[in-house]
Amino acid sequence: MTGRARARYLRNRLFFLLAILGPGFITANVDNDAGGILTYSQAGAQYGYSMLWTMLPITLALIVVQEMCARMGVVTGKGLSDLIREEFGLRLTFIVMVLLVIVNFGNVMAEFVGIVGSLQLFSISKYVAVPVCAALVWLLAVKGNYKSVEKIFLTASAFYLCYVVAGVLARPNWRQALTATVELPGRAAWHTPGYVYMVVGLIGTTIAPWMQFYLQASIVEKRIPVRKYSASRWDVIIGSLFTDLVAWFIIVACAATLFVHGHGASGLKTPGDAAEAMRPLAGKYSFLLFSFGLFNASFFSASVLPLSTAYTVCEGLGFESGVDQSFREAPFFYWLYTLLIAGGAAAVLWPGFPLIRITILSQVLNGVLLPIVIVLMLLLINRKDLMGTYVNSRLFNVVAWVTAAVVIGLSVVMMVKT
Amino acid sequence: MLDRSMPSRDTRPSLSFMIRTRIVNADGANAGRLYDIAVSTGAEAGRVAGIVVKSRAGLGWVSATEMTGQPDGTLRLSAGARLEPLRGDESFVLLRQDLLDRQIIDVHGRKVVRVNDVDLQWFGKAGSPLDLRVAEVEVGLRGAARRLLLDLMPQSAISAIAARISARVIPWEFVDLIEADPARRVKLKLSSERLAQLHPSDLAGILEDLAPAEREAIFATLDEGVAADALEEVDPALQKSLIESLGPERTASIVEEMNPEAAADMLNELADEYSESILNKMDEHERHEVEELLEFREDSAAGRMTTDYVQVAYSGNVAEAIQALREFEGAPETVTEIYLVDGEAAERGPAALRPDGPSPGTAPTLAGAASRKPVLKGVVPLARLLLAQPETRLAMLADRRFASVSKDAHQRVVADLFDRYNLRALPVVDSLGGLIGVVEADHVIAFLRDAR
Repeated sequence: MTGRARARYLRNRLFFLLAILGPGFITANVDNDAGGILTYSQAGAQYGYSMLWTMLPITLALIVVQEMCARMGVVTGKGLSDLIREEFGLRLTFIVMVLLVIVNFGNVMAEFVGIVGSLQLFSISKYVAVPVCAALVWLLAVKGNYKSVEKIFLTASAFYLCYVVAGVLARPNWRQALTATVELPGRAAWHTPGYVYMVVGLIGTTIAPWMQFYLQASIVEKRIPVRKYSASRWDVIIGSLFTDLVAWFIIVACAATLFVHGHGASGLKTPGDAAEAMRPLAGKYSFLLFSFGLFNASFFSASVLPLSTAYTVCEGLGFESGVDQSFREAPFFYWLYTLLIAGGAAAVLWPGFPLIRITILSQVLNGVLLPIVIVLMLLLINRKDLMGTYVNSRLFNVVAWVTAAVVIGLSVVMMVKT
Repeated sequence: MLDRSMPSRDTRPSLSFMIRTRIVNADGANAGRLYDIAVSTGAEAGRVAGIVVKSRAGLGWVSATEMTGQPDGTLRLSAGARLEPLRGDESFVLLRQDLLDRQIIDVHGRKVVRVNDVDLQWFGKAGSPLDLRVAEVEVGLRGAARRLLLDLMPQSAISAIAARISARVIPWEFVDLIEADPARRVKLKLSSERLAQLHPSDLAGILEDLAPAEREAIFATLDEGVAADALEEVDPALQKSLIESLGPERTASIVEEMNPEAAADMLNELADEYSESILNKMDEHERHEVEELLEFREDSAAGRMTTDYVQVAYSGNVAEAIQALREFEGAPETVTEIYLVDGEAAERGPAALRPDGPSPGTAPTLAGAASRKPVLKGVVPLARLLLAQPETRLAMLADRRFASVSKDAHQRVVADLFDRYNLRALPVVDSLGGLIGVVEADHVIAFLRDAR
């Protein structure tokens, strides 16, 4: 190949890659939300590089779980809540939906805490930031259509790269970081107080129940035909890899600065604290990148979560849904959507609001919901009448059930501890 | 467990309350519990044909003629009635299996909804052979509340609560089942007659709401004319998946029924090979129309025009124009005006142009690319034709000034002309002034909405 032909070939490959990025990539990125960033920062600040090994198994688990949703969406053309309703009945669907609303409300609150934290670093008052952002979030979904919103989301995903830059600016010990990624830490690390708890937290923040509903619904909405399924699979795989690459760099950045200087995680209570703590250690640019990254992530997730929740609940319970319907046609949908945003925003502005208690409650319920969702998914995806030849292979089933068992076990541990 | 047998028989029981009703033998011994209710289709639509009973021996089937409803709400098998094994290919709708929690089409409300519960109604007295019919399907909060509360409190309390919730129900005659298996669809005598009565846009909306398997099953049962109308209205991505599921043969016969402009737009979106194979299966006449349109740029006036229009010789009179309208092959409701063309040029066309008379509407496209199109001389609005005497010369009725557009003009220009002159239709001409097609208002609206 001549140089020019080669360049064209590479460009075409790149376009191909960009063209298949969509629901899988977006879902995985939304997953790195304010809560996720806080957890990664704490992990890096408290335990340094010794947490990096978790990234590989977490990525694998994320890919396995997400791939199943993508496959179900493409093959059946139905959302996960639709399938649960049709195959497991109204009552179970109702329970799952109630749990999902509470868990996601907790998440939406966390996103607004993230927005407040990041904008406070730029001295913007929360009484300005929160109402403005809430209004923007509300409008984005109501006024946009799926195609334009997807483009905005894909752009937002690209901004996660600022964490990669922040990680490089932190001048980590690359050799040590890479070794720690592929090597299990020594026995001593496991006896460090809170270490196991942190591992559980990392997994819990990476695999969340809402993602499965959101991903499958987006795939259905995009009407991806079965023969293009392999592109969707790549979308999911690339998304999960990118997300965890970002997570890896957040941990590395905090490990190379906060951990090395003995800062620890005790000072990291809200997602904005890591950026603040990094300023004297890693300089102005790292601080800016961390703050901007946090704002981007929080705002992005705050736009996706309420909408996805409203869609999922209405779909499962059979209410009219969709932003192409008017308020009168789909009142439940709009009320739920609006209340999630308004409630999440109000919670962070209201001085006496039991923020912490609700966050803990939503984490506990998350631990209840996740096992239910994963088990239901595994039951559904092995049904020949639904999936035809696209049921799980035996090997995949083994991997998936092991993943499920680990996630379930860890969620139970997490739940008991909180 | 609560006992499901009702103290006194409810005249309008719901399916959720009836499930697990006790069923007794002729001698009063326990025979099992109600598992599902089978309902006839076709002529006896809505009538309960039998009951699926869950007994210790598994699931069994018993016909409605072999049991009676008791005053206490239980069902009693008549003497000698036996539970038949369930074969799984019965031609009945099973309420629990096929309806509960599934999606159905509300033909009256024109949308896809999910079933929360089914309301039945008793006819005949207690003690007489079972005469139970489906009354309506619950899709609102009331049905959902009843099912969620079931087992948690006594049924009378549930009924009291449910009575306070406003119901959203669909009468059984407006319910259309969605069955993805075509063979079973035939067996259940599910016809798409009622769907065919819907406006094509509503039908398209319903198709868009369904999952692919169900969508394709329903689309496959529509007759070609209905399918063509609906296909024009669904969004391009869906058009593609629908016709790819049908194969070129049937697609060709549907495309023949479509407005050529819509057909050309659709074929443009397909892979060349596939659209070629569809065109090859089409009738000569329709294929030619579509192929001509495929030549034009999609964003030009010609790319947006239809070739279904009515043209008459400039020298003709009103009676001849009315005759041309009668012979028009396209959809008559799309016609808002007729076009007067140079009579001499019209004669040169090889198609059915009478030497001295009007030409049937679709003739010019048959003229082929080589021959000259008759030159556009005037436009007569339909209403003016209606008010005039049959012998009036068309030239007298024609607007002296009329708008037309060159075939290469961008569709933005077309939209501007529509706006400036308040048009309903705009003739498209070639470089020599020959009439080659007409852009209709709905295409301009579609373009303007897309451009937003």
